[in-house]
Amino acid sequence: MSYMGKFLLAVSAVALAASTANAAEVKVGSVAGVTGPIAELVDPIIAARNLAAQHVNDQGGLLSGDTLKMVLSDSACDPKAGVDAGGKVVNVEQVVAVVGASCSGATNGMVQSVTIPAGVVALSDSATAPSISELKDNDLVFRVAPSDAYQGAALAKLAYDSGVRKLAMTYSNDDYNAGIAGVFEKEFAAMGGTITANQAHEPNKASYRSELSTLSNGGPEGIAIFAYYGSSGIAIIRNSLENGLFDRFFAADGMFDTSVIEQIGADNLRDRISITQSASDYADSSYQAFEKIFSATGKDPKAPYAAHGYDASFLIALAIEKAGSADRSKIAAALRDVASAPGEVVRPGEWKKAKELIAAGKDINYEGASGNVDFDGNGDVGGIYSVNVVGDDGKWALSLIK
Amino acid sequence: MDQFYGIFLYIISLLTMGGIYAILALGLNIQWGFTGLFNAGIAGFFAIGAYVSAILTTAPSLRHLGGYELPYVVSFAAAMVVSGIIAWAVGKVCLKLRADYLAIATIGIAEIFRLILKNETWATNGPRGVSMIPKPFETLPEPWNHLCFLGLILAVIVVIYLLLETARNSPWGRVMTAIRENEKSAMAAGKDIEKFRMEAFVAGCMLMALAGAFIAHYLKFIGPNATDPLTSTFLVWVMLVVGGSANNRGAILGAFLMWTIWSASEILTSRLPDELAIRTAYIRIFLIGLALQIFLQRFPKGIFPEVRPKPERRQSVSDGVTDNATSR
Repeated sequence: MSYMGKFLLAVSAVALAASTANAAEVKVGSVAGVTGPIAELVDPIIAARNLAAQHVNDQGGLLSGDTLKMVLSDSACDPKAGVDAGGKVVNVEQVVAVVGASCSGATNGMVQSVTIPAGVVALSDSATAPSISELKDNDLVFRVAPSDAYQGAALAKLAYDSGVRKLAMTYSNDDYNAGIAGVFEKEFAAMGGTITANQAHEPNKASYRSELSTLSNGGPEGIAIFAYYGSSGIAIIRNSLENGLFDRFFAADGMFDTSVIEQIGADNLRDRISITQSASDYADSSYQAFEKIFSATGKDPKAPYAAHGYDASFLIALAIEKAGSADRSKIAAALRDVASAPGEVVRPGEWKKAKELIAAGKDINYEGASGNVDFDGNGDVGGIYSVNVVGDDGKWALSLIK
Repeated sequence: MDQFYGIFLYIISLLTMGGIYAILALGLNIQWGFTGLFNAGIAGFFAIGAYVSAILTTAPSLRHLGGYELPYVVSFAAAMVVSGIIAWAVGKVCLKLRADYLAIATIGIAEIFRLILKNETWATNGPRGVSMIPKPFETLPEPWNHLCFLGLILAVIVVIYLLLETARNSPWGRVMTAIRENEKSAMAAGKDIEKFRMEAFVAGCMLMALAGAFIAHYLKFIGPNATDPLTSTFLVWVMLVVGGSANNRGAILGAFLMWTIWSASEILTSRLPDELAIRTAYIRIFLIGLALQIFLQRFPKGIFPEVRPKPERRQSVSDGVTDNATSR
């Protein structure tokens, strides 16, 4: 056991030395799937989280000028790693609150076995599983990412309103796409539409011809695809068009990428495809404020959940400021307070203004880059969605679903 | 003060996860260490145990099979029994295969189980997983809830260790070694090799399922991402090989040691600037490989090499027997 002992000693010593070094530092956990299946999606989200912290620090800092430090920890999109990462930031780093985790499964494990028992607020910027709403969380689990329930319903309404009544559907068998597909199926049927066939598919197959020819039986007018564009979505559209099986496509945000147009061709897709996307209201001044500052860092402000990542960090900072101290137990109530009306509106980048208002004892209402971030009883936000079609210029044309 | 308490809690969580991995490594040790069965499908039996115990203990849910709310003792036992039966069926088909072919077959079978669990949505909620799994002792105040859960796992490890040590020192253990070292001569000595290999395979898979049951309750959530082969199969192999194959203490040490490296290395990397911290997350995976290299260079047979039970001495048996036996 001597090796074990040495390791533990070394670990504790390093952690201790580093944590006592800087007293005027307020730590917030930043748990994300840095490695693992969604690694490339996570990069802009982390950049956005850190940008929010940078704004706080550049514009007067937290409380009495303390520095906000985001402590990164890797949840690898795996519940085991999520629990481990959560334990590290909550126990070793003694963070005030946690932003994250990225994937729904990792978030589910982390909040249930670490943050809720420890009484720490967790605010996820990209976990969308409906089951997270149902947890007995003592009001400690929040999300700025809308639950899938909303996007499935939005896409079903879009399809139905476009006059389509009979649809086939297929989904990539992962937690994200299966969740949206399940809601879509229920909602479309509830409106009076018919799902002629519904089949899961495994991603990364060379061809989906056999699945598609089965799905085309029963006279569907189109197909709803729930998949990531790279691993199966593009192949499904290509196979459908090549074989004349489907020429009307509805899809959720996993399919939204310029490479879809590049690989299939704008003319082949025009008037044929509609993709919903969890979006920000791009005309909204909060989003525009975020777009301006985030573009300046060289990252894409429209990257999935980047705006949500910014809002999550900024909201936690506001909640700490509002609570008046870096006390874990006060964050949840303060978070609800700063996120919703009544109060003077604060937008991304406006830390100085928010700090002054709070100091003057005034109520504030943060209107985020991803939406109004008004939490409901479950700590969820309602989603804003856009629909993307191929425009005359051969690029995605986006309009907001009202 | 909070700082010390936090580190104390973190060490508990390190030991808990390390302990769960130790049970996995002990299971693999029966198969590979004692008997020489190359099981590369640990994740499959781990997943079976996790889902069985999760489904049997959760409250009713519309998302998955459940609502039985059975006590933990029953669900742990059921996880082991179900896994044992499946392992028996798999063994009937696969155990005739020689080492490397057995490895390929078990990888395939584990993936089949994982895909079944992922696709049978009515039972397992598919890729969304089973949530709100109860956890033993969770109603106790902190830190007693964490400590008691850890205590339970450590107690289970001690029991398993004592059982395995008894088995290893018994005639049964010596037959296993004989099969591992030279199948033909064991057969010539009149041993029913197939039966013994099956016993080792089933016993090992039952322990893997027990570890799976513990992880489901520890995480309070189980989904397909929690049973991926990287952290559920290959990491266990690394633990056993580093700790010392065919040595139960080695298996336990390897599990705690490698999990500590895997987990605690991030406390250091997260102190780097953000850009670097994202990259170094991958370096942790590299670190595991590096640790494997270093330990194998310094300890070619693992940190605790195999110690063969002393033969019952008669005057005519020379000391040379034990020396020969340790070289593989």
